[in-house]
Amino acid sequence: MAEMTFYSGFVIPFIVGTSVLFAVILYKYMRWMVRLPREDKRLVRRGVFSRATAEAIWESVAECLLHRRIWKVNPLLGYMHTAFALGWFLLIVVGWAETAAYLGGRLVPLQGHIFFKYFTTSLDHAPRWGVDFEAVMDLLLLYVLSGLALALFKRIRSRALGMRRTTRLTFGDRVALTSLWFVFPMRLLAESATSGIYGSGGFLTGSLGGALVSTMPAASMASFETAAWWGYSVALGVFFVSMPFSRYMHIFTEVPLIFLRRWGLRSGETEKSFDHFQIEACSRCGVCIDPCQMQRDAGVTNVQAAYFIRDRRYGKLTREVADNCLMCGRCEGRCPVGIGVNALRLNSRHSLNGTPADGRYDYVKGLDTSTGSRVFEGAGCEIGYSMKQGRVGFYAGCMTLLSPRILKAMEVIFAAAGEDVWWADRNGGVCCGRPLKLSGDVEAARDMMRFNEGLFRRHGITVLVTSCPICLRVFREDYALEGIEVLHHSEYFERLLSEGRIALSASDDGGLLAYHDPCELGRGCGIYNAPRNLLHAVADLVEPTETRENALCCGSSIANIHLPGAGQLAIGRAVGSAFEATGATEIVTACPLCKKALTRGTDLPVSDLAEVVERHLKVAR
Amino acid sequence: MGAINFGYTVSAARAIDLDRNDLGPARQIAAEMPEFAACIACGGCTATCTAGALTNFNFRMVQTLVRRGEYAGAWREMNKCMLCGKCRLVCPRGINTRGVVRLIKRKLGDY
Amino acid sequence: MKRVIVIGGGPAGMQAAVALKAAGLEPVIVERSDALGGKLRDWHNLFPSATPAREVLDGLRKAVEMARVEVLLHTEVEGLTPDGSKPSVEVALAGGHAVQLSGGRKLEAAAVVVASGFDVFDASLKEEYGYRIYDNVFTTVDVERMLNEGGVALADGSAPRRVAFVHCVGSRDEKVNQKHCSKVCCVTAVKQAMEMRALFPEADIYNFYMDIRMFGPGYEELYQRAQQESRVNFIRGRVSEASPTIDGRIQIKAEDTLVGRPMKMSVDMLVLAVGMKAGSSCEKFARTADAALSPNGFLAPADLFSGCVASGVPGVFYAGAATAPKTIGESLAEGSMAACWVVEYLDTLAK
Repeated sequence: MAEMTFYSGFVIPFIVGTSVLFAVILYKYMRWMVRLPREDKRLVRRGVFSRATAEAIWESVAECLLHRRIWKVNPLLGYMHTAFALGWFLLIVVGWAETAAYLGGRLVPLQGHIFFKYFTTSLDHAPRWGVDFEAVMDLLLLYVLSGLALALFKRIRSRALGMRRTTRLTFGDRVALTSLWFVFPMRLLAESATSGIYGSGGFLTGSLGGALVSTMPAASMASFETAAWWGYSVALGVFFVSMPFSRYMHIFTEVPLIFLRRWGLRSGETEKSFDHFQIEACSRCGVCIDPCQMQRDAGVTNVQAAYFIRDRRYGKLTREVADNCLMCGRCEGRCPVGIGVNALRLNSRHSLNGTPADGRYDYVKGLDTSTGSRVFEGAGCEIGYSMKQGRVGFYAGCMTLLSPRILKAMEVIFAAAGEDVWWADRNGGVCCGRPLKLSGDVEAARDMMRFNEGLFRRHGITVLVTSCPICLRVFREDYALEGIEVLHHSEYFERLLSEGRIALSASDDGGLLAYHDPCELGRGCGIYNAPRNLLHAVADLVEPTETRENALCCGSSIANIHLPGAGQLAIGRAVGSAFEATGATEIVTACPLCKKALTRGTDLPVSDLAEVVERHLKVAR
Repeated sequence: MGAINFGYTVSAARAIDLDRNDLGPARQIAAEMPEFAACIACGGCTATCTAGALTNFNFRMVQTLVRRGEYAGAWREMNKCMLCGKCRLVCPRGINTRGVVRLIKRKLGDY
Repeated sequence: MKRVIVIGGGPAGMQAAVALKAAGLEPVIVERSDALGGKLRDWHNLFPSATPAREVLDGLRKAVEMARVEVLLHTEVEGLTPDGSKPSVEVALAGGHAVQLSGGRKLEAAAVVVASGFDVFDASLKEEYGYRIYDNVFTTVDVERMLNEGGVALADGSAPRRVAFVHCVGSRDEKVNQKHCSKVCCVTAVKQAMEMRALFPEADIYNFYMDIRMFGPGYEELYQRAQQESRVNFIRGRVSEASPTIDGRIQIKAEDTLVGRPMKMSVDMLVLAVGMKAGSSCEKFARTADAALSPNGFLAPADLFSGCVASGVPGVFYAGAATAPKTIGESLAEGSMAACWVVEYLDTLAK
């Protein structure tokens, strides 16, 4: 087999492309890894030899090759992605096996594997190891080509693949996409030409090759073959060079991301090196676009997760794109790569908008307007320690303070349950800090959080109830409240009910309730059942089409500091119509802000869960 | 009212001089956020403001002064805002008050 | 056919019907409630002259009676279906003993005057003001009713020592989808503040306003009398919220914008000057007649100047607060005007 030198001029584009690809990728990964903050590095060291690694291997196979999560979005879309990923992967693996089967342990350069057919025309291609490699390789090629056909179809009619909108492409994406589309048709032509000339090939390349030979004179056939292999190599080379600079960077990056995530790394409230793995693992597949209500109802089409990540990756992120998002989390829940886009957006906001805390909230020091606590009165505003144990504190939050029906309901329910309550902020209090944090002012927000923490501790409460999911989330995620159990009022009511401290009577007015999941409560804190269980106890409940994990955002999210009132209203109206379509006679939610937003968006009555519970309290106990 | 004397007294020397005041930044802010100009000075924002109850921060007045080209101290005043959003909920003109606070801070930030 | 259907038996509708009859046509008033008079029935004394509402109402009723105008009470109009020169009205009888006819009945007419009026803004939608949450929060409509019933008092029957009026509740407020000025609430609140003064000579009375819009004859003078003679305190600031105090009063917060400082005060009685909302049937009429609606939900007249009672649809005319907030006087004027337009329209058709 002396003629098998595994070299021909056309392999140069491929070699160059591959070298550039691996050089760039290695450079990027090394850089990002080296720059990981110390605690992240510790997580990596601790994680490498743990179960997490095995789980990461399985997840990599399931997601990067089989694309399980995309299959769940839409089977056709899943097929398309799997055809490319798994098909190509198998072409490489089986290709290596084929080389090994025919050439034994001989060391073959990379291009020898890739252009195997071209360099091994002298071989007898009869099955080896009991495998008809030519047929298998043709089958795999056909598999990838079927995915390509679907991809072309998707560009024309994305709706058929379950996507109303797909992402707009960057220049790098276009180059990569075009070359990628050429890779497999060129491979088909090249292998077919060689198979035709030498009478080899499987059912696909063999028969196409035969057809080519029969329609072309031998001389042109030879130049056609060379041209096709050049074309194949050039397509590969161009694709490989453009890959690390385009969205196709995700092909490799998803793997380290899966490992790092399994080892416990997460994006935080300030930017850090790990963010790169998340950002470059985004394939801009666009699954995030359709669920976005900013796009759907407010007509804002440049802020969706894929575009935000793209802009950030290429250093073109504007405040508008970072800020004009409800951070409702609907897209995050559907991301096939599991990118934590809300955390990324938050730390972008910190970089763009964060200002030094500057002790700007020092004026709240010493403030205590709380009521209902029997603490001994010291000099001036000094507050002593409450002697009473097991005290329940209630923090209304700014939005509840503007919703007196909720406050009144809470009062009635507390009284019915015989609860001795400490009211943290009934006469006005200090904001929980989450709105400020969501705007990117992380450091200043921390000052507020520390203030409220101190207030809660001073009064010796052991349970903290809040009717506001925004406050709830920040209490759970950012406050240091060891020893104080933080409950949403829905959870608290459920507990009162199960302990028999309150009783509810079902209504007989034939009313039909529909429950709206607040983003911060549902996707934010994972509380879906507590409110529903309570509502089930008093009336019939219907669900809108998009509910629970997929629930719509009311549109007035505190996380969006950019959207003008008209946009909020447009989203609120769309949500309102979704509820009207259920035939419900009343909408119930469990967030004062959602309540206000929905009241604007529909003519149906909108109540907070607390009001419904109050209405159905069995008075005689 | 203490050390910060922000527009509470208007003596002849402190008259707002629209011939001299540079309205450029105010126009820029209005261009970026047109709602900025929609205030009808009802004071609802200031009435409900937590920071305004504890300090002499007055959102309505500060943003009005900014519209008149009176920028001194505006950034420092806006820095008292907790961004809690109550003012946005009560604003009858639906002004994105939190956005206004941030925009004023960004445009007039003096550090 | 000489029949003209007048939808709504309020001031505008009654006035239109009387004028139509005088012009030799056969008006039929279709009224969904149990009596003529519309919301005028609920008012006590009318601004700015303190003329008893009953006087105006009785005059109108007498005129309708004398003219022998046909009146269909308890009847709701389901929709207008213009048919070239011969609009017909689908009339469904609702309520009472005529239910079985619902949907089936059809009333033919040569023209229609829509005088369906407005709805009172539901103050409980401004939750932060505490209406239907705290005992002593009322609306200006409640106050008219109490005045008619012979006494304004707190829930426990006692006299208020401090009363605050809140202007612009459900007006000029995007948060409740009511961008428009309801126009009559300012003068109503001023009028009621003066009535409160007469009832409670020792009470403190405050009016919280964003702007005082005294557009009518004698209104500004009324305002000045309220300030000077009735000792009503006017504070320029929108109340942001009301909350209960420990002693059962209501604490309100506002900014005294003329001083530039937030203020709070406790009151015994809070009166919300509620605005006018587009009538709930406007949408239905516009849809079925293929006529235009204004963004605020009222019916849109064809032209704000020379065609303010015209709908743009042949044979369909408007009168009164169906097209925008209006005073009683303006509604009456439009009733007459709409009748003129109907006569002219039918004359043109006949030629």
